[in-house]
Amino acid sequence: MRARRFAFVVLVSVALASCAPAAGTVRLLETGSTLLYPLMNLWVAAYQREHNDIEITTQGTGSGTGISQAISGVAQIGASDAYMPDAAMQEHPMLNIPLAISAQVIAYNLPGLSGAHLHLSGPLLAAIYGGRLEYWDDPRILAANAALRGRLPHHTIVAVRRSDGSGDTFIFTQYLSDTTPSWRSGPGFGTTVSWPASSTVGANGNPGVLQTCEDAPYSIGYIGISFMDQVNGAHLGYAALRNRSGAYVLPTVQAIAAAAAALVSATPRDERISLIDAPGAGSYPIINYEYAIVSAHQPTTQMKRALAAFLGWTISASGGQRPAFLDAVHFIALPASIARLSRDQVGRITSP
Amino acid sequence: MQRVGTQPLLRYATGAFALASFGLIFLMLLFLVVYAYPAIRFNGTAFFTSPIWNIGNQYGSATVTRAGFTAQAGASFGSLVFVSGTLLSSFLAMIVAVPLSLLVALAIVYRVPAALKPLANAVVELMAGVPSVVYGLWGMIVLVPFIGNRLSPTGNGDGLLAAAMILALMVVPIMVATTRDVVQAQQASIYEASMALGSTSWQAVTRAVLPSVRSGIAGSVLLAFGRALGETMAVLMVCGAAINTLPHGIFSPINTIAAVIVSQLESALTDASGMAQRSLGELALALFVITLIVNAVARIVLHGGDRSGAVG
Amino acid sequence: MKVRAVTRWTSHFWWAVSIAALGFIIAILLSIFAFVIVHGAPALRPALFTPVTSGVAGGLANAIAGTLLLVSIGLVIAGAVGIGTALWVVEYAPQWAARAVRYMIDVLAGVPSIVVGYFLYVALVEVLGWGFSLVAGALSLAIFVLPYVERSADIALTNVPRELREGSVAMGARQGVTMLSIDLPYAIPGILTGLLVAIGIGLGETAPLIYTAGWSNYLPTLAPTHSPVGYLTYVVWTYISQPFAASHALAYAAATLLMVFVFATNLVARSFVEYRFSGRGGR
Repeated sequence: MRARRFAFVVLVSVALASCAPAAGTVRLLETGSTLLYPLMNLWVAAYQREHNDIEITTQGTGSGTGISQAISGVAQIGASDAYMPDAAMQEHPMLNIPLAISAQVIAYNLPGLSGAHLHLSGPLLAAIYGGRLEYWDDPRILAANAALRGRLPHHTIVAVRRSDGSGDTFIFTQYLSDTTPSWRSGPGFGTTVSWPASSTVGANGNPGVLQTCEDAPYSIGYIGISFMDQVNGAHLGYAALRNRSGAYVLPTVQAIAAAAAALVSATPRDERISLIDAPGAGSYPIINYEYAIVSAHQPTTQMKRALAAFLGWTISASGGQRPAFLDAVHFIALPASIARLSRDQVGRITSP
Repeated sequence: MQRVGTQPLLRYATGAFALASFGLIFLMLLFLVVYAYPAIRFNGTAFFTSPIWNIGNQYGSATVTRAGFTAQAGASFGSLVFVSGTLLSSFLAMIVAVPLSLLVALAIVYRVPAALKPLANAVVELMAGVPSVVYGLWGMIVLVPFIGNRLSPTGNGDGLLAAAMILALMVVPIMVATTRDVVQAQQASIYEASMALGSTSWQAVTRAVLPSVRSGIAGSVLLAFGRALGETMAVLMVCGAAINTLPHGIFSPINTIAAVIVSQLESALTDASGMAQRSLGELALALFVITLIVNAVARIVLHGGDRSGAVG
Repeated sequence: MKVRAVTRWTSHFWWAVSIAALGFIIAILLSIFAFVIVHGAPALRPALFTPVTSGVAGGLANAIAGTLLLVSIGLVIAGAVGIGTALWVVEYAPQWAARAVRYMIDVLAGVPSIVVGYFLYVALVEVLGWGFSLVAGALSLAIFVLPYVERSADIALTNVPRELREGSVAMGARQGVTMLSIDLPYAIPGILTGLLVAIGIGLGETAPLIYTAGWSNYLPTLAPTHSPVGYLTYVVWTYISQPFAASHALAYAAATLLMVFVFATNLVARSFVEYRFSGRGGR
């Protein structure tokens, strides 16, 4: 009896004693985007193996939290799927540094049709999520999918969305806004939006959306491309989306890279730009930069050096941009000129 | 209460702790009121009457000002969907959980053989120890598909029923533990006297023992109801996260105040005007007030506010 | 007096129903356990305990140490405040004050953990600038479990038989002495039950910790502030959302560990209670 209690006390003491930090270690905190989180974890684990004088804690808390805590100084790196809005930038000028390119797939559970890639567009998705298009065999869907005429069921569409604030919602609604005026003037876009009062179902996180789609036949949902393997594993189909040129494009590496390349020249020096609905016949329309939100003024030289070194590594071709990391989550490397812009921004981090 | 030779030190030390417990609520309440004040003014009565929750356009520069406070253009912070979802799911959960817990507690006290009692108690405490995220996961992967495939007409299982069932399971151990303890602590003589008068064992329990520990049980129901109202993670994972849509059936997606606070906090932080965050503060305040009302009502229903015997 | 057959059958029926109810919750618990263990099996290896969480998965050393630390400190705070409050309420307080304090404790029990967490996040993490920290995390747990500790201590102390207490006082003992030597020992099984429930709740809490303790991939430093702390529920909550099978296994493994912890503390404390207090206090 006594021995067991004693063992517990020892366990706690050992836990306490093992906590002594190594002297001279710089501690960085990365918090924010859950979309970037898996990649950040892979990066940090690899970076750590080469650099033992730095400890980087990673937290998946959501983009809004990432931005807010980078601003307040709680975190050194705020990860965000979205660049900061102008209003926030005026109040708190921060560096918005792209680290990689992500994309989104529109997945659906149509029994017997998972092999076929439906053709969908922004206005069609806006109608579905707006509650103005209720059945899979709606003429508007059939018009874009002549090949599937007769095979689409007369069944209600269960539209699945995220219940938590999410970069996935941000880029999905941005696609709807950019392609559909009524969506732009209605719900608009953001990490969370005021979904029209229809029977959309909210699910938590990408796995929640995946699970709900898998469980409920005739459902549709938007899922981060890092879950591509799971989408296939769950035998869900995914759509070819209509881009700005009117072509229906699947979320392939080439199509995402083409979309990113199309907007390289348009990317400003501060790199705050939407990559949604890029021009070019081969461009996939729902892609985005994954940002590190960083304060340009770090409190100590040590901190500044460590931060710049790590961020510099993540965007270097021989470091974080290697396929070994990016392929695991189906992300795309930054085009060379964007990596250069990001490196310039990293160079702007100062210390007293 | 005797005051014979009270030791001042012990008295003041414990008194200080009591004051801390007492004051904590006011500290949080005050904090929330001050924090949410701009939202209270900005939202006005629409907060209670509107089902629309919209943090406005984050990426536009337009703003809207009401009562001297500014939010993003298009902002509307109505709590109706969340308040109704909170109350409905918790009530439904209690309807299931109260009888279930009473039955389980009675079985443990009167029917489980002494040798197996520790095992039964362990089951209860283990159930209380299952983290709410685990209940949520189990709900998402086991319960929701069951409801979706077997019960729900639309094939979607996320919603009121799933949330209420998960809540019921989560509060059962709390109620069982307290009910078991108060029934056990009650002198066996009550039970035996009733039996001696010719009651069956069930009558002895329901007509003699249970009434004598009514306030203790009521107290545990209150605790459980409080826990259900405020449960966050598990509900979040199975409720269907309704927004702008009022609950309209047992399978309809709902949302609760606590779930909204945790799921919308992150987005609210992107609102440069800060009004979304403060409106979440107002939601928290609303939940606070609901708990106060629930407590007050329950107290009136029982013994006109008396917690005599102080069991409950 | 003879009980009518129908009445007796009714009695049998309801007892059968109550046994069935017990069977039902046991079945649910087994279902949850099986669910978690089956999914966590790939990660349930000895290597789980030594390394820290890193990359796709790694170990749980940081989360285990952090959880134990947070819950221990939180429980010490809640235990001191809760039991102290209960003693005052039962032994010293005038009736109106006792009623007021108990009422507030009831209200506190209804405050959702996320509200407590958010309050402490704004107050400690941001306004006081402590950052994600051990103190903020432990405090949020302490506040959340306080009502459970106070209430069970309150009930246990109130149920101390009058004769015992009055006997002691009649023999000339001062109230403080009676309180510490008669009431408290008698009430310990009840108080411990409350602390057990508190441990269970504390171990499983997620929402308030995300915004107070934060999360750390490293073993906790002992610094009270400015240093985030890892904990097991974070792993469950966050790693389940990763696109890797290894991460999911880690999440379920963390869930399994949490339940095993609750089970272990239970066994230890329960056998302790039964050993020291067998034949007393109705247990």
